[in-house]
Amino acid sequence: MIPRHFQITLALLLLAILISGVYLVHLKRREEALNTAAAPARVMAPPAGKHEHIRVLLAYDDDLALRWRDADVLLPNERRARAKEVLRAVLAQYLQSPSPHPLGYGADIKEVYLLDDKTLVVDANAQFAAGHPSGIVLEQLTLTSLIETLAANVPDIAKVKFLVDGQERETLAGHVDLTPFYETAVVHEMAREFE
Amino acid sequence: MIDPSHGGEEVGAALPAKMQEKDLTLTLARELRRQLEERGVHARLLREADIDLSLERRAEAANQEHPWLYIALHAGLPGKGVRVYWPAMTSQQSSQAAMIPRWESAQSAVSGKSRAFANAVANQIRKGGVSTSLLTAPLRPLNNVLAPAIAIEWAPSPADLKPAQTDKAGAGLTSAVASAIAQLRGSIGARP
Repeated sequence: MIPRHFQITLALLLLAILISGVYLVHLKRREEALNTAAAPARVMAPPAGKHEHIRVLLAYDDDLALRWRDADVLLPNERRARAKEVLRAVLAQYLQSPSPHPLGYGADIKEVYLLDDKTLVVDANAQFAAGHPSGIVLEQLTLTSLIETLAANVPDIAKVKFLVDGQERETLAGHVDLTPFYETAVVHEMAREFE
Repeated sequence: MIDPSHGGEEVGAALPAKMQEKDLTLTLARELRRQLEERGVHARLLREADIDLSLERRAEAANQEHPWLYIALHAGLPGKGVRVYWPAMTSQQSSQAAMIPRWESAQSAVSGKSRAFANAVANQIRKGGVSTSLLTAPLRPLNNVLAPAIAIEWAPSPADLKPAQTDKAGAGLTSAVASAIAQLRGSIGARP
């Protein structure tokens, strides 16, 4: 016959093991949930579209030049979504390793808005500006590359403005003006200095 | 008016030898002022110490002084040598005809002078054997300045920023810039 106090101790131990098991499962699920939330946003495929062969104007820091390159991009038909994917195609080139024009990790385009048929507002994420190397020529190459590529692949865009994380920002990284609406014709002239 | 760009918490570009752009621009600005004074050209610095100064405040201070020339000094990578900029207007519309200039395009009325001056300074620096590019860029606060305005960006090599070399390399650049300004001040109708 097992003494009563042993039975009680055994029961308490079993209960403690059961509670610990439940708590461990809870902790594991919470960790998985946190990891999912912290993971970088997955690149979602555009809702509809087709693979297109486009030209992108890329910056090369080694010789401070802009050069047109070919890229295959899945592009939606709708202009606003198309503009966003065109810009992301340029950023993708800069975020690869080795990069011709390195940007900060995680730089991305959050959203693109068409104010009218000819005016586009680009909302970049915080990493786009926070991680951008500071320097006149580096900042100018980034803006020129993005705007020229937009103008070449999204017809009739005449003006482009940049926001960062939904807010106006004075400069990209301390030098180049980010407040105005850039006329694509003016930027085209600027780009010629680097081609 | 010489503007040593950045300052305070706004450090600017990271340079070799752990130097920060804000410190190098202040060193260059002091040397440029000394070189100009030696040539009989009066010069003022927009900041004399490591302080925060907003872009608006810089333009406002420059416009209040009515300088005959505003020079923003920068230092940054990549490349080597000197890049001289004149302000690029982001719109083809000009505020030249307006009685009260618009803040964002205040520079447009004198952008031709700025371009000519940048060209002259670049040519003068080239004569000193320094690799020099002439470019245009949409820069703050240059577009808000009513006077002719240029920016000069020095792209120093790591060797230029060694303690014993920085003063020498910077003095070579500022001497060429000071010579250009002294030569050209008459041609733009400036007071000494």
